[in-house]
Amino acid sequence: MSSDRNPKYRQEIQQMMFVSGETAEPAQETTTLIEEITRQQVIEILTRSTALATRRGVRSISTDDLIFLIRHDRAKVSRLRTFLSWKDVRKNVKDSDDKGGGDAADFAAADDAAGVVAGPQDVAPKPKNKRAKVGLAWDVNSFYSVQVPEREDEEDEEEEEQNYATLQRLAAADERTRHMTREEYVFWSECRQASFTYRKSKRFREWAGFGIVTESKPNDDIVDILGFLTFEIVQTLTEEALKVKEREDNEKHRRGGAEAGENLKKRKRETGLFDPPEEGRTPIEPRHVREAYRKLQATPQKAVAMLLHNGRVPHRIPLALI
Amino acid sequence: MSLGHNAWPPGNIRPPDDLQESPRPVNGLVKTLSGSRTPQIRGSVGAEAPNPSSISEADIAPEEDPRIAQFRELYRRSEAKINALFSGRYSGDNPAAGEATESSEAQPERVDNAPPPSTAPRKSARKLDDDDYDDYDDDDDEDEEMDNAVESPLETKSAAASQEPSGAAPLARRPSTSISAIADGLKEPKKETMEDLRKQLEEDKKATEEAARRSFHTLFYTLENDRDAMLDQQRLEESERQVEAEISGQANMGANNVSGASNGYSSLSNTNLGASSLTLKNLIARIDKKRDRVQASDAELRSLLSEVRKNRSKWANEDKVGQEELYEAAEKVLSELKAMTEHSTAFLTRVNKRDAPDYHTIIKHPMDLGSMTKKLKGLQYRSKQDFADDLTLIWANCLKYNTNTEHPLRKHALYMRKETEKLVPLIPDIVIRDRAEVEAEERRLQLADNDGAEESDDEPIMSSRGRKAPGKKSSKKGTAPSRNTPSPSRAPSTQPTAPARADSDATGEASQNGFFTPPPASNTSSDPAGLGAIATTSQDDSMDIDGPSMSTTALSAMSVSGGVEPEDPEYKVWKQVTKRDRARVAAERHRLLRGDKLNSEEPALLRSKAGMRRWLRHQKQATIETDKSRDGDSQAMELEAAGESLAEGIEVEEDQMLPYYYDVMSGVPDLPDRLLWKEDAQGNVVDASEEFLRMLPTGQFIQPDSKLTRKMNSNMRQMQETRKICSKIGIVKQMQLQSQMYQNQFQKYQPEPFLEQDIEPHVMNDNGPVIAPWVCRAALQRSVAKVFYHTGFEEYQPSALEAVTDIAADFFHKLGSTFKSYMETPKVPTTESHEATPSAAEWKPAYTRSEIVLHTLSTVGIHIDELESYIKDDVDRLGSKLATAHDRLRSLLTELLRPALEGGEDGSNAFADGSEQFVGGDFAEDIDEDFFGFKELGLDREFGLSTLSVPLHLLQNRMFNAANPQNTSVSPTVTLFAPPPPYGRISTDNFSHQIGLLHEFFKGKLDANGDEPLVEDLELPPKQRPMGIKPRLPASGKIPMSSHLGLTSSPHKRAAQAMASKSGGAEPSKKKAKKNIGVAIEMPNFQPDGEGDQATGDPATNSNMKTEETGLVDGTGESMTNGA
Repeated sequence: MSSDRNPKYRQEIQQMMFVSGETAEPAQETTTLIEEITRQQVIEILTRSTALATRRGVRSISTDDLIFLIRHDRAKVSRLRTFLSWKDVRKNVKDSDDKGGGDAADFAAADDAAGVVAGPQDVAPKPKNKRAKVGLAWDVNSFYSVQVPEREDEEDEEEEEQNYATLQRLAAADERTRHMTREEYVFWSECRQASFTYRKSKRFREWAGFGIVTESKPNDDIVDILGFLTFEIVQTLTEEALKVKEREDNEKHRRGGAEAGENLKKRKRETGLFDPPEEGRTPIEPRHVREAYRKLQATPQKAVAMLLHNGRVPHRIPLALI
Repeated sequence: MSLGHNAWPPGNIRPPDDLQESPRPVNGLVKTLSGSRTPQIRGSVGAEAPNPSSISEADIAPEEDPRIAQFRELYRRSEAKINALFSGRYSGDNPAAGEATESSEAQPERVDNAPPPSTAPRKSARKLDDDDYDDYDDDDDEDEEMDNAVESPLETKSAAASQEPSGAAPLARRPSTSISAIADGLKEPKKETMEDLRKQLEEDKKATEEAARRSFHTLFYTLENDRDAMLDQQRLEESERQVEAEISGQANMGANNVSGASNGYSSLSNTNLGASSLTLKNLIARIDKKRDRVQASDAELRSLLSEVRKNRSKWANEDKVGQEELYEAAEKVLSELKAMTEHSTAFLTRVNKRDAPDYHTIIKHPMDLGSMTKKLKGLQYRSKQDFADDLTLIWANCLKYNTNTEHPLRKHALYMRKETEKLVPLIPDIVIRDRAEVEAEERRLQLADNDGAEESDDEPIMSSRGRKAPGKKSSKKGTAPSRNTPSPSRAPSTQPTAPARADSDATGEASQNGFFTPPPASNTSSDPAGLGAIATTSQDDSMDIDGPSMSTTALSAMSVSGGVEPEDPEYKVWKQVTKRDRARVAAERHRLLRGDKLNSEEPALLRSKAGMRRWLRHQKQATIETDKSRDGDSQAMELEAAGESLAEGIEVEEDQMLPYYYDVMSGVPDLPDRLLWKEDAQGNVVDASEEFLRMLPTGQFIQPDSKLTRKMNSNMRQMQETRKICSKIGIVKQMQLQSQMYQNQFQKYQPEPFLEQDIEPHVMNDNGPVIAPWVCRAALQRSVAKVFYHTGFEEYQPSALEAVTDIAADFFHKLGSTFKSYMETPKVPTTESHEATPSAAEWKPAYTRSEIVLHTLSTVGIHIDELESYIKDDVDRLGSKLATAHDRLRSLLTELLRPALEGGEDGSNAFADGSEQFVGGDFAEDIDEDFFGFKELGLDREFGLSTLSVPLHLLQNRMFNAANPQNTSVSPTVTLFAPPPPYGRISTDNFSHQIGLLHEFFKGKLDANGDEPLVEDLELPPKQRPMGIKPRLPASGKIPMSSHLGLTSSPHKRAAQAMASKSGGAEPSKKKAKKNIGVAIEMPNFQPDGEGDQATGDPATNSNMKTEETGLVDGTGESMTNGA
């Protein structure tokens, strides 16, 4: 869309990639590519949610519109809900903070970490500030004309399940950070705070072309959600690209091993046992990202099921949201 | 078959031939050997022998073909019959011949033939005939000299025996003939045999046609030749028209020459008719009288008259003995030949000088079929011989001119010649003579009559029709037309077949020479080689009857079917037989589709009953045919008689020689047997319905019972229950908010249980699924709706439901198609281990059932996991969620109703705030006790109380206030009095009925209105009224009705709205009233509730009712004032 533009989020993307598992320093082209992809996704999200809002007869995008767009990715929806609920908690805490609650300082400190990936183990919510659940429009609660009252005692086992992927990620992160030195961990936690939007709201609005894509001015909630989603996008891309690269490396290794002899391989393997895996790695290259993007854009069979047997092929298959 | 056919080349007289017996066997032998053909094949080696008429023939040798067998068989049979005929005829002839002393060359043998008939077996006679045919066959070809040699041994051997049988045969076989012969002279039988002969030939032809017809069922012929056939036919017609034109052009000049009365207009009575038509006598006399006024030529008149007359052809001429018969036959032959358009095209017209400049230098006597037609119509032929000579001349000319043996025209000529030889025997050998001459002869014969009955038999006494029936044909193969003209015409009256020869070779040959009868059509094409072969065999066992005859016929059949072109003989026969009809059909088609478009003004193709009948018969025939082929031999066509019930005899059936598939309109679909109209012995209709009718099993259109179904149903029930609670909560909340209540403000949410209705008992008449798209669609729609409801939608727009149903149907259709394509994958061999043996009989489907299902699902992008997760998440978990929600809402309701209980779990605080609950009995539900004894009184059933507690609004103080007088609710549905009929409009006619004071007023008004009837203000639309009551909204700014409907949305909603709008439309003038209507409108639906509420003894409601009434009175009063 804009090759003339300068990349604006190189550092953030690098940090996000680091958090996502890329240990080496990725090249400028890579981050630029990722940035472009992300921006395309954001614009798509905005366009679609605007269309949805218009269909509802509302001008401004709401949280539900965004959630609806990603409804098929249950894990992501769950993460987003967690994120939103914690955001809510944070707001409440801040409110009470203003009132002079001294104990809320912890939360303020933990805010940043929770802002990106809200892990329950990171922050222990105070029972007083019970986190509000973010309801989904298609949930059972909305079936009835009367709001179903909340009850604290019951645990949503569904959310537990849906959080599985999140927990996996957190476990991986935990594994990575386990042997970190203090400095490393500081760096790591800094990286985790990387966001497209946090305290860069204006830059993000410009970057995503808010005024162009959607007429309404999305509120801060929307921007926060978008920030969350952009992080998810970068993370997904990075993970996928890492997989691609790993496969490529394996392939190369297999062929290269035959040529170069056993020595190199053996030595590498031995060293690999003790060395942190990130050492000696080459960074992700744009081609890996492209391949990952292609894979993520692959049309699922379901989407073309109705085109079987003389169905008409649409001239354009819509962009898949990552 | 020895009907006269061969024209002998000049100089080829029989007696000389006899002297050359010896070379013949040699020649025949040599030929058979050199021909390198088996004797049966009878290859033609005609070219080897010098033809006196300088025609070098290159007959195409027919090839041995198994397919010929059928035709050969056919021919064999027909030949056999004809042979038998001949033997009969000869017997008649022979005696006659003996007497015909005065006639001509043939006399000697005839005398010889005279010996009385003996009683030898008929077969031997036939055999002899066959032998003779062989001879004739030989003669056909240029080896006349040779065949004598062949025959002579035969003759000598069989002479004695053969003589008698030939005479006796007819007696044995055809008593009637012989009797008549004895009594009446031999003329009759002779004629009869003549006709029989022709009949036989016809039959022969028919047999061929029949064979072809039968092949309709066994072979499918492509239509590619139809166009050619059509074009040929067109050409033929064209040439005929041309000839016709020329003839008519010449009519005035030359036509009358022939008819005897040649100058100017002949008197018709002289020319055309003799005693034949008394009926037309007057007409003819009249025409003769006014002859100069009649614009038609004689020929035209003649033909006209002959058309009118019954049984007389246009050729009939009283003065020309034999003309009718000869010309009729000749014309038929000619048209037949012309109809062989495939080969005859080149001979239809004269050879053009431009095409062949040197033609006339080579060919001195050009001839063509067109010219022959002209000649025929000009009555220029005097005898059969003339005619046959002309025909032969055509082919001879062609062969002569086109010397190159490869020339395609030669093939045509040869073919045509063969056909000619086949056909010419059909012409009776007649020499046209003047009646006077005939009569003179008769007189002469009368004198010689004393010789005996046999002699008279041979007399050519003509009947009044002037028929002269000399039994024999003149030879016709003659290359030169000059030969053998009418002179021998009398002579041929006897057939010098076996008997003749039996006596002596010399005489036999002589007789043959005179009126040599040609072999029948099938034999004519025979070749010397084949003859040689047969001759040898017949020499060996001349008494063996069947052998030679069989072989000859077989051979002849072969030679016929062998054809000029190396074509499939069967196909060729088919082409010939069906040609005309095919041409007709193609022409019709061509007309209809000319210019590559459908020509709308052409007559439409219509199905006819006759066509359908024919089609059915073909069908039946085909089935029988196949059955028969299993049996082996084909026994006749009795199926022809198998009549169809379909409109038999209603329409005249024209017979077509076309396979049924040409008649596409008449196709009749196969009907199952059980639909036949069958009757039993008593004439009652047999009802076969029990055999195939069946009840549609129930449950086809409802969801089958399963775990999933039960779960979904319970979920839906749960939702309904929860909604009930919700509605209660809503009511409570509303009551808390609202300052006043209306009696029917809160309708009860009482959903009906879901019940899937199956279709009514249904009778099907076959296996398989029900093909009822609407029913299936409705069932699918219901399922979709069910899923909708299960997903949480309480109600949905019909269009949405339709759309989703369509999509679902489409999806399931695709699913089914995919499924089917997987199911129909070709089978694979079971043993895949060794690919070398694919012939193994074991085959299995490419996919197992589960594989098919999995493949299909993956094709449409659904995985088993997804289905499982749907069940787990969207059904199971939903159930638990719903249960949770239900519990919560229920507790919420409880809390709302018993705020006091909130304080203590144990209910100890229940009485803290005035013990209202205790008084109201609200807790009764919780303790499940009939606190007030409602149940005991039966009130719960009577009023449909859902709980046994006192209805909430009865207990609330507010409810007492709710019955304010100012809250009037009018029930428009309760019309105490019917409104009075509207007054008629005031018009110029009736204003005098008004009271006198107003007359002037109305008059003035009417004048102002242009004498139109006056319109009441009330009848005007509200806005146009001069001082109408402005509709006003109540102070709240909204119509109250909608506010509470939103709370308890129900199926009644739409109905209520509809009613509201309707009643609103009924009384447009009173918005005020309408406001009230909105509240009261649900009354009819919930009358029981209302009544129940009233009956519970609430004075407030009663007062409420009163106010309603007053309101009503108000409304009516208002309207009345308006009306006034």
